[in-house]
Amino acid sequence: MVDGTTPSPIGSDQAPTSTPSSAQWEGLLFGREYVEVRFGGSGGQGVILMGVILATAATLDHHRVVQTESYGPEARGGYSRSDVIISSEPVDYPELERAHLLVALSQLAASQYIGTLRNDGIFIYDLEKVVEPPVFKGITFAIPFTEMALEETGRTQTTNILALGAVTSITGLVSVESLRKAVTGRVPAGTEEINNRALIRGLGIDPAEWQNGGARAYGLPVDR
Amino acid sequence: MESWHGHLLKERVDQSSLLIQGNRACVLGALDAGVRFYAGYPITPSSEIMEAMAVELPRIGGVFVQMEDEIASICACIGASLTGEVAMTATSGPGFSLMQEALGYAIMVQAPLVVVDVMRSGPSTGRPTAPSQADVMQARWGTHGDHPAIVLAASNVADMYRLTMAAVRFALRFRTPVTLLADQVVGQMRESFSEELLGRYRLTSGDFDFTPGYLHPDLAREVHLPHVLGSGEYPHVTGLFHDETGFPTNDPEKTDKFLRELYNKVAHHRDELCLYDVKNEGRGRVCIVAYGSCARSARAAWRLADQEGLSVEVLHLYTLFPLPVEIVQKVARRVEFMIIPELNLGQYAHEVRKMAEQWTTVIGIGKTDGTLITPREILDRIAELVGKYESV
Repeated sequence: MVDGTTPSPIGSDQAPTSTPSSAQWEGLLFGREYVEVRFGGSGGQGVILMGVILATAATLDHHRVVQTESYGPEARGGYSRSDVIISSEPVDYPELERAHLLVALSQLAASQYIGTLRNDGIFIYDLEKVVEPPVFKGITFAIPFTEMALEETGRTQTTNILALGAVTSITGLVSVESLRKAVTGRVPAGTEEINNRALIRGLGIDPAEWQNGGARAYGLPVDR
Repeated sequence: MESWHGHLLKERVDQSSLLIQGNRACVLGALDAGVRFYAGYPITPSSEIMEAMAVELPRIGGVFVQMEDEIASICACIGASLTGEVAMTATSGPGFSLMQEALGYAIMVQAPLVVVDVMRSGPSTGRPTAPSQADVMQARWGTHGDHPAIVLAASNVADMYRLTMAAVRFALRFRTPVTLLADQVVGQMRESFSEELLGRYRLTSGDFDFTPGYLHPDLAREVHLPHVLGSGEYPHVTGLFHDETGFPTNDPEKTDKFLRELYNKVAHHRDELCLYDVKNEGRGRVCIVAYGSCARSARAAWRLADQEGLSVEVLHLYTLFPLPVEIVQKVARRVEFMIIPELNLGQYAHEVRKMAEQWTTVIGIGKTDGTLITPREILDRIAELVGKYESV
């Protein structure tokens, strides 16, 4: 970010070690020069924090980053979304136009924001929260984030961090080292350990296992 | 950067960079410029400014007060200002409405202070979490009477830092309240921002004198000032027209003279107050005149147009009032169209029209659905105006 240094393409600061279980997997958005990401969910799920952490990690990786947020007037519930633009050049227009990646943690977010996703984009959603996934012809990952978080830490509040780990594993958008630093620096004091556990679990998923209805193939309930 | 307010370094992501929110950058700029008093009442989307002030000011010997409402907030700031503190408050549309009467009082008694208005959709409660630029005319004419106004507009996180500093400087120098306009997107967005970049802004602002204190050497030369507490003179402060003694006067000659001096102390210093930036100077039939978050759309539109073989000029205004007459007219003389994208129904387009219509066609693009104007929307309008670029 310091003027004079050359901004690097996405992920290139760090070898993509984000998928321990799949050595060949580089990350679907690894190496891109401009990526628009949208996180959507309902108020209280930590969706804005997901955006902030991803943006922090990308800044650590020396990208130019803009993170914006939008939420309803309610204190809890209502919609909530966080957009992150990661670029190798300074970003003028701060809002996303056609997302490369949509991460949905609620049914409403999935239905409402699917239209902003490029046809060749990546759609990642929480298998349990998005009961009726909208029609999307690009690459889809349906992962039971909430269930995994409960299993791993006993607290659904860590779902967002777990999902962020999985998102990184799938996309290679940021380096694992930067993401870990960002999580430790941004989560509420006292929750670092538990969130770190959730992060490791998320990073540990095998993307190939969950891609395009992978969950269905594994006998997990999709249409509930 | 030792002198830096380390407390905000939660935003620091490593040794050299920050990912900082616009509202927090505003606080950083205020503290660096010497603001040591803040009184406010929280309101979305400006609340982070108050939150950060509440944490930081007590740590560095400043004073933070949460007041019962916005009227009390700005009045507390005026009081602090009259004792020599550099005072600031922040709010959004509904709170800014409440502050208007006291803002006029601050102008009349020449109390320097900074009011940050992080604009949201209105009128009334409107949409608290959606951006707008609809407080522009309120910032100029919200309080009654013929009064001067200094109004700045921030378009990104770096602006929130440096324009807050500029606002403090202008307030002290011209002894008047200064309004800094931001919007929900600029205030709540986070951007990567290097310390080196910050350092450069700091250097620039190093030319300014941020010495806290009521009496500033260069203050408002054209107009008499109220006596200061502790100066030996009896300090009398009133919103009534007053003479050199600070006491009310009904003398027609004195009141007229005072009002004109008050107005002209700002109007006569446009050269110093009008901050702007021209991109692609003199290379296009069309100029996009923009401020705040729309300036970002304008820049993106300029780059997009460039790719499509169209040359447009961008005039980015950081100072909305006093009106940047000279630069607007200079550009107006050389372009056929001036396009003003803004998140309202044409408030500033009207001002630009007044300045420029003698030389050029002024067209506003107003958007009020709570989203930003996209670069494509600006380009489409330009395409309509100049044909599909063929003759450009």
